[in-house]
Amino acid sequence: MSATGFTGIVIVLLFVGLMITFSIIGKNRKSSRLRPIGAYKKIDQEINTSVEDGSQLHISLGRGGIIGPDSAAGLAGLSLLKQVIEKSSMCDHPPIASTGDPVLSILAQDTIRGSSRAISLADQDKNPSGELIGVTPFSYAAGSLTTIRNDNVSANVHTGWFGNEIIWLTTAGERQSSPTIAGTAQLPAQAIIYASASDPLIGEELYASGAYLGAGRMHEASITVQDVMRWLIIILIIGSVVFNLLGFNTFIEDILAGSM
Amino acid sequence: MNINFKAPISAAVAIGVGIIVLAGYFIPSLDNVRFALLRTGLVLAAVALLVGIINLATVHIKKIRKESENSGYSLILLIAMAVTLIVGFIDMIQTYLVGRPNFQITNWIFTNIQLPIEASLLAVTTISLIYAAAGILRKRMDMFSISFFFVVLLVLLGSFSIPPATLPFLQVIRDWILRVPALGGARGLLLGIALGTITTGIRILLGTDRPYGG
Repeated sequence: MSATGFTGIVIVLLFVGLMITFSIIGKNRKSSRLRPIGAYKKIDQEINTSVEDGSQLHISLGRGGIIGPDSAAGLAGLSLLKQVIEKSSMCDHPPIASTGDPVLSILAQDTIRGSSRAISLADQDKNPSGELIGVTPFSYAAGSLTTIRNDNVSANVHTGWFGNEIIWLTTAGERQSSPTIAGTAQLPAQAIIYASASDPLIGEELYASGAYLGAGRMHEASITVQDVMRWLIIILIIGSVVFNLLGFNTFIEDILAGSM
Repeated sequence: MNINFKAPISAAVAIGVGIIVLAGYFIPSLDNVRFALLRTGLVLAAVALLVGIINLATVHIKKIRKESENSGYSLILLIAMAVTLIVGFIDMIQTYLVGRPNFQITNWIFTNIQLPIEASLLAVTTISLIYAAAGILRKRMDMFSISFFFVVLLVLLGSFSIPPATLPFLQVIRDWILRVPALGGARGLLLGIALGTITTGIRILLGTDRPYGG
């Protein structure tokens, strides 16, 4: 095993260990200590609104597949879909889900069916579709517009892997005067979301849906682990800068070269 | 379309495959197993595309039957889908049985219909982006939005090649913004995304987050 491979395993095991530890520590904690994120508060509000006025939420999961760097964003979107369906079990019309990737579409349908079974929604017609809208960025964006313009859609949640085409979805929601909550893992699209969505999810906030929508202790523990690791990275970066400024880098290079 | 995975079995298979693929990145002796699983995944993804297209057609047939407001678009989509499918079959026969050059008609459709449409949509996207950047202060009047707006303005001014806007100091400011704060911010976001990706992956591998089935 190479040094990189060994480091990788150590990092993964460190994450697993910390997540399990924080999950056990947080077992007896009654209140959540998460910083408020406006977008998730908005999702909660919109779920309540849809229960009250019989409207629907539109959840678009983007074009991320499950093989590649885009998979985590897609899976985070699916996780959010699951939470929203479970929370909106009282709705007359459950959320509409749309995707731009065939594998994600199948997983979305499976999530919908699984969650619907869990909340005893027997009526198949009431179940959201998990429809594949289009497989190219613009066909997906153009195809989603009809769903966004649907009068019964009260809010749009775009979470997953989106590119610049997200601007179409966010501005369409704005024209309908419906709240738009959006998050993606692509950096240029994040800038677009910040400028155009009413409630943007920036950076790692995309992956925090479970913790904020009450999916369980492990979700909250994973947020704590992210914070711990972030501080560790900050300390490492500052430490290495100080190290270089003090000239220790050349000292260590000399030791490694055996010239001391 | 009814897809009914048995939750415990599908979860066990997903977790098992996930662990083997992850381990394959770190342990070279597992490389062959990892590649075999990834290849299987690719084949399944291709099959999923077929299922997705059938699903798409089914949804739009339902929309036409309901005679909803947008059923005209659904009809156009189905006709375009059928024509492309037929052309694809004809092309396949010509390419593999007659021996003509690779998928000529399909390539013609992509070059002369799909590409110009996508290019024009990209042009509309540019206008929408400028509109969104201009409207940010109307939406959220806070420190971050004000800085966002002025940074966009400075970078745009520094990028112009029209004489009044070609002042050297604007280009220096633009270069500094792109090289220092923008790059630093992007790296910070990427680190956050990486941490989020790792924890999402681990939650799925531990089975505490199962965004598939029940």
